[in-house]
Amino acid sequence: MPSDLTTNTAVRGPSGPRTGWTPPQWVATTALLMPTYAWLTLAVLLPLLTMFCFSFLSATPMGKAPIVFTLKQYRAFIDQPYLLNIGWTSLVIGFWTTLLCAVFGFLAAVALSRATFGRMRETLLILILLPFWTNGLVRVFSWTMVLRENGFLDNLLHLVAPDAGSISFLYTRYAVVLGLVHGYLPYMILTCYIALITIDDAIIEAAVSLGARWWTVLFKILVPMAAPGLISGCVLIFVPVIGSFMEPRILGGKVGVTMGTVIEDQFTQAFNWPLGAALSFTLLAVVLAIFATFSGVLKRGAAA
Amino acid sequence: MTYLGRAYLFAMLFFLYTPIVVMMAMGFNESSLYEMPFSFSTKWYEALYQNTPLLTSGMNSIIIAIITAVIATSLGTMAAVALERRTFRGKSLLQLLLLPPIAIPWLITGTAMLVFFYWSGIGRGMHALLIGHVALAIPYVVLVVGTGFKTIRADLEEAAMSLGSTPVHAFFAVTLPLLYPSIIGAALFAFAVSLDQFVISYFLATPGYTTLPVQIYSAIRKGFTPEINAISTLLLLGSMGAILIFARFAKPGDVSDKR
Amino acid sequence: MTNFTRRETMRLMSAGLIAGAGLSMLPRKAFSAGKITVLNWQGYGTDEAWAVKAFTEKTGIEVVHDYFSSEPEMLTKLRTNPGAYDVVLINSARTQQAAVEGLIAPIDFSTVPNAAGLSPELKEHPNLMSDGKAYGTAWVWGITSLAITEGSAKPDSYTALADPAHKGRLALFDDAVTNIAIGALLSGQDINNPTDLAAVTEKLKGFKENVKLLWSSEDQWNKAFAAKEFDLSIYWSGAAVRSKRNAKLPVEFVVPKEGGIGWLDNLTIPTSSSNPEGGLAFINYMIDPEFYVEWAIKVGAPASANGAAMEKLPAEDLNRLVHKPEYLKTMSFQSALPDDRREAFNNVWQEVKAFYAE
Repeated sequence: MPSDLTTNTAVRGPSGPRTGWTPPQWVATTALLMPTYAWLTLAVLLPLLTMFCFSFLSATPMGKAPIVFTLKQYRAFIDQPYLLNIGWTSLVIGFWTTLLCAVFGFLAAVALSRATFGRMRETLLILILLPFWTNGLVRVFSWTMVLRENGFLDNLLHLVAPDAGSISFLYTRYAVVLGLVHGYLPYMILTCYIALITIDDAIIEAAVSLGARWWTVLFKILVPMAAPGLISGCVLIFVPVIGSFMEPRILGGKVGVTMGTVIEDQFTQAFNWPLGAALSFTLLAVVLAIFATFSGVLKRGAAA
Repeated sequence: MTYLGRAYLFAMLFFLYTPIVVMMAMGFNESSLYEMPFSFSTKWYEALYQNTPLLTSGMNSIIIAIITAVIATSLGTMAAVALERRTFRGKSLLQLLLLPPIAIPWLITGTAMLVFFYWSGIGRGMHALLIGHVALAIPYVVLVVGTGFKTIRADLEEAAMSLGSTPVHAFFAVTLPLLYPSIIGAALFAFAVSLDQFVISYFLATPGYTTLPVQIYSAIRKGFTPEINAISTLLLLGSMGAILIFARFAKPGDVSDKR
Repeated sequence: MTNFTRRETMRLMSAGLIAGAGLSMLPRKAFSAGKITVLNWQGYGTDEAWAVKAFTEKTGIEVVHDYFSSEPEMLTKLRTNPGAYDVVLINSARTQQAAVEGLIAPIDFSTVPNAAGLSPELKEHPNLMSDGKAYGTAWVWGITSLAITEGSAKPDSYTALADPAHKGRLALFDDAVTNIAIGALLSGQDINNPTDLAAVTEKLKGFKENVKLLWSSEDQWNKAFAAKEFDLSIYWSGAAVRSKRNAKLPVEFVVPKEGGIGWLDNLTIPTSSSNPEGGLAFINYMIDPEFYVEWAIKVGAPASANGAAMEKLPAEDLNRLVHKPEYLKTMSFQSALPDDRREAFNNVWQEVKAFYAE
């Protein structure tokens, strides 16, 4: 799906004349795809398919409980209407996280590709990706120390304004979004950067010499050309954020209840795999529906 | 404009490094509960030096992450070539199939793997761990390298072929160097995914074999001490050093700058 | 598109069946006789380095550990790894389930000399019994009840949880069964089988304004308490002792008039164990008063099921003061729950959490 969203893919066409023997197209295509999809099928897709089958059972098929086929797990949103609220919260958190990452990440990629060169650029890029190499849990715990009352943030504020009260916002949805943005921002910076470094300086120089203002350059050249990167970035962020449970649980306190935590509870507390699986697959369907709608809109926009 | 851009980048770095700096600082704080005020101590580093399981698990994590990054990047890049440069039926479906591993929370994927690997006889152990890690890293690689493909010009490759180059040769001589930044980026992500992956390791490792995220995750219950900050700091500084040395000798920048 | 997906799915499914059939039933390597594998929470007594060393020196048996982070995960690991484990820690509320499923074997106490010291009401606790046989060795027990900041007013009832005096200063344990039990105690019902779940829900929802956070690990509790984020909470007795003694936190454990919620952990031998003798030897060592006293004093532990071990603690020991033996006679212990009841409990807690988050 991701590439379907693309509005400006590079020119793809039949190959030109060539010399020497080449195997038929499909042989090469299969050879290229086979390892990846065989691996994915064995390690992830078949296990998930098993889970998908479990989601139609009345109880976890491990142990002695009698199991029967049922659709009741998929009725959870009707039987337990409070789940709708939680689902909506998750979508809103996912939306804000993705939006903030897109804005800040895109600008960072622009700055990287336009304002830095050579070794400095490489070093900066590596520095941006490195925080990613520390354990996510450790990073989230560190945020709690920054955000809590009398934490680092408050201390910093009190250095400047000793009398100011606390600006701690740990255990709020803002804290959850902040933690998620921090965790996923490097994806967006990298994908946008990959798209932006291919832009020819000459195009921008030509535009500027023709009198284009910076916003024209930004919205008419940079954004459209970075679109593949922005789209991949959004996929890589929105999709996992919807199901995240670590950040909401630790940074959200009592408001940190999301679909991710509900699903986690089904596995770690309730031992209700069918319900947990049904909720995840419902979530997956919603995510796919959102992307399908979005890609439809984009395609129509491109056609118009 | 250049200065504005750089100032913005430094602001971003400040944001990205805030928790990292806190993490590093807390490794030098006396209190095991991360209490303030700060009082300097190297006792956690000394404790870490004695803590063989934690050090071994750190080593294991790095080894697995490197193997995962290499395999996932090679396979994922191949798949990206096919998905971006070739037309065939069922392509959308194949692209769609990359999403479930990202979208379904790892906890569920992990449980599913545990059950399926048991039923299918794959079992647990280092091999199972690698199978799982690579599978979870591949979608990220395909998406990142795919992005690279979308933005480089296919006509260069075709030009090379029209000048007598075979497709394979054209790919290695023209496309691959242009893809270099995205492939490196994808490998770094695959490495990060593996390094951060605790659920799969937790379910699939044999008793006695642990990785760092597993140690961290199981430590949540009893308390994780600043030793974990200490080892995370060492790992981060170590990888920073390794990458900077690598970047000095290999020069991917030369390629990307010329485009 | 949808048609295609469905067709592809069917294809995948059949591929999976073939792969599954082809690969299944590969032989599994058994562990050597001089080695046992213990499945437990991390840092819960059995994996103390000094204890493992002493045990190995005494018996020549090597001890390897594997960990779980939730009870369902423990059961899953047991089911999907036959032969891998020799000793498993099970909360007694899950023992019968594991016994009925044939995952664990009855204990032959004649080979566990230290079992003679076990308190009779724990050794043959109804939770451990299945068709007249004990399927686990009672190891340690504890109480889940209230913890307050030292020096603040001692609550005499769980109604304090809803008292506006604690607005925004309450930490609850994020566990369905525990919270239902509290709601049950507050509405005068059986903690293991409250018939009026609506009343329980109502009581729990009443805490909304007070709740600041939901903790799920001792570590999280300690860090948040050290940062003074709350001053009233639901907490574990053994953990309160550790927090006070090891982390020097000003915490006091209080059991209000409705009573605490008791839990009993036991050590069991899986039916698939390849070294049950080694496992029993290890269990024997684990209920040895000598081990317990060292564990309780060095590290901090819940109360031992071995009365003799508790007697050996110094009289003013905090652990002894918190775990009064008379609680054993009166307190209700968490016991086995049928699946549908457990599911109902979880749904209630999920609903209450959603209400807190609104």
